[in-house]
Amino acid sequence: MPNPKTEIRNSIRRLRFDHGEMTQDELGKRAGVTRHTIMALESAKYFPSLLLAFRIARAFGVGVDQVFEYVETNGRANFERR
Amino acid sequence: MTESEKWAIWTLGVVALTLIAWFALTAWSGNGLVSNAAFSLLALTAIPRNSRRHFIKGARFDEREQAIANRALLAGFRGVWLALTAVWLAAGLTKGWSGTLVLPVWVLTSSLLWAVVLLLTVESVTTLALYRR
Repeated sequence: MPNPKTEIRNSIRRLRFDHGEMTQDELGKRAGVTRHTIMALESAKYFPSLLLAFRIARAFGVGVDQVFEYVETNGRANFERR
Repeated sequence: MTESEKWAIWTLGVVALTLIAWFALTAWSGNGLVSNAAFSLLALTAIPRNSRRHFIKGARFDEREQAIANRALLAGFRGVWLALTAVWLAAGLTKGWSGTLVLPVWVLTSSLLWAVVLLLTVESVTTLALYRR
């Protein structure tokens, strides 16, 4: 049986908007990474380590599951959206 | 542009300068030993402030940049390994596997420096490619 393809989506852009249009640079400073890495994360060109995922979530004051979402490629998330 | 990309562009420039100097010295002197002096230009790769980035752990490189740097370095070593294999195969196939090569010592030095040039080139190009992917 073939394994379903999965991906990790994130809500960083929306969360930045919700936090007073926080800049990528500011988020990067709070999470300890560069603005370029935040850009790569938002465009799903890079998937963060668990440590960075927690740092980003903490920067927004939310849980990791509210920032990152584990999704199967058929579009169905493996858990309900909040 | 990130520090790594600046380093890669600078390094490609140094490599190009080294190659120009090497060919110019070869054309002028006709002596490979003299041409080896051109490789001293490779020391210019140490000028950028992040030139030792593979050996420094800290805030300067975040995890993505470090991952790209590691992949680029690995690509560089793969390039050198492939080149070495190609040279060994070419020598074996042309001279015979029991044949003998008699070479001046400076050829060995030159070979190592060419390997450095290849490594830096592949590493720089890979760095630029990974940042633009």
